[in-house]
Amino acid sequence: MAEFTLDCLGEACPVPLMKTEKKINEMSVGDVLVVSIDHSCAMKNVPEWARKQGHNVEIEEVDDGEWEIVIEKAK
Amino acid sequence: MEKKTLQYDVVIIGGGAAGLTAGIYCGRAKLKTLIIEKTLVGGLATYTNEIENYPGFPEGATGLGLMDLFHKQAKKFGVEFKLTDVRSVSLEGDVKKVETFRNIFEAKAVIIGSGGKPRLTGAKNEELYLYDKGISFCATCDAAANTGKTVMVIGSGDAAIEEGMFLTKFADKVIVSVMHDTGKMDCNEIAKAQALANPKMEFLWNTVVDSFKGDERLNTVVLKNVKTEELIPVPVDSCFLFIGYLPNTEIFKGVLDMNRGGYLITNDRMETNIPGVYAVGDVRDKFLKQVATAVGDGAVAGYGAEKYLSESEIFEQQIMNEGNPSLVYIYNAVDAHSRELLSVFKEFEQSHQSIRVSCIDTYKSDGLAKRLGVQSGPCAVWIKDCRIQEQIDGCITKEKIEQMCK
Repeated sequence: MAEFTLDCLGEACPVPLMKTEKKINEMSVGDVLVVSIDHSCAMKNVPEWARKQGHNVEIEEVDDGEWEIVIEKAK
Repeated sequence: MEKKTLQYDVVIIGGGAAGLTAGIYCGRAKLKTLIIEKTLVGGLATYTNEIENYPGFPEGATGLGLMDLFHKQAKKFGVEFKLTDVRSVSLEGDVKKVETFRNIFEAKAVIIGSGGKPRLTGAKNEELYLYDKGISFCATCDAAANTGKTVMVIGSGDAAIEEGMFLTKFADKVIVSVMHDTGKMDCNEIAKAQALANPKMEFLWNTVVDSFKGDERLNTVVLKNVKTEELIPVPVDSCFLFIGYLPNTEIFKGVLDMNRGGYLITNDRMETNIPGVYAVGDVRDKFLKQVATAVGDGAVAGYGAEKYLSESEIFEQQIMNEGNPSLVYIYNAVDAHSRELLSVFKEFEQSHQSIRVSCIDTYKSDGLAKRLGVQSGPCAVWIKDCRIQEQIDGCITKEKIEQMCK
């Protein structure tokens, strides 16, 4: 179970979502991806997309207006 | 992976306007409070660009900005936040469980403000123009921005037609797309007659949305005639969808009472059918869904949860008296005769040191009486080994009490 990171700080939608989709597709089931974002719209579409795919999602607020979206690839 | 279990006084599901307000009230009452939000704190209001009808902001506020203030205020009172989705709940009993992907949160009270989302048409390019880009779900919110413009309404239910008529006060033209045959609508007959007579309203029968078009913002809705398959491009400034709303209540099915649409049913104290479980905001079956009403719901539930918890404590420690003998007098202080009986209980207390005597006034709160299953006072209840042994309803005398508490 490997852990990957994806730095999307300073990037606006839909860039974080597109990068996340691409990265997740390269990973194996059980791997974890941590996406760093600071754009609030990515807080809506990235977790929503990941859940729709059936993955596990949890978000950490790292700083004011800065988040880490933790996605565990479930299938 | 073993899930970690954590204890809280109150767990709030959903960090929108209602949940945040409930959090502010619970936090301020010094309860250990957790808000679980699956995406961005602030909920549906963060999708609205401009909020002009929330009192206290005469210049208007952005949805995101306003919710950020709510969030800060909740944090100030020590409310904790967890940003993940709730997988399942177990709400019966005194200890309620809320399960997420990595944790089990145990709480004495749960407040549900999980909200919902408007149903979409599923037509092409719909996702490109949602909310502030031309597709709206709230006439109350966005009507004023469409003054003098041409708008489209999708749907023919009560919400669609009534909101459509409201829009005619602002827009020059309101085009309604109805999927049924000419003259057939899902709304009530009165609304239908008024709408058909409204000169600003135009109806396109047998149509559904095929696609949405525009540049940065929506400018055309392409309808499709369901009978002829003909495509009809209609230039518009905004499009309002009123084809239903889906509350997020799947995980509460069969546990909490809900109406046909899946909305949770509460009383005016925001209590659901399970004690200690409250529902607030858009997820609740209610008349008007706005930030302003969500705030009211949240305040009521936050206050109610605090009362519920303090009553639980009194109930366990004082009424049940840890299994020791306990005599409870339930009365309403408004009733003169009931007040007179108070002295009988005071006397009894002095002559029976081993029995704990509690007098509970139901005038302020009937919570404790309800827990004992007492509908109305005056009533004397005899408790031993944490169970009700006997009770006297109505005519209470010193002799009867003596006899009961043997």
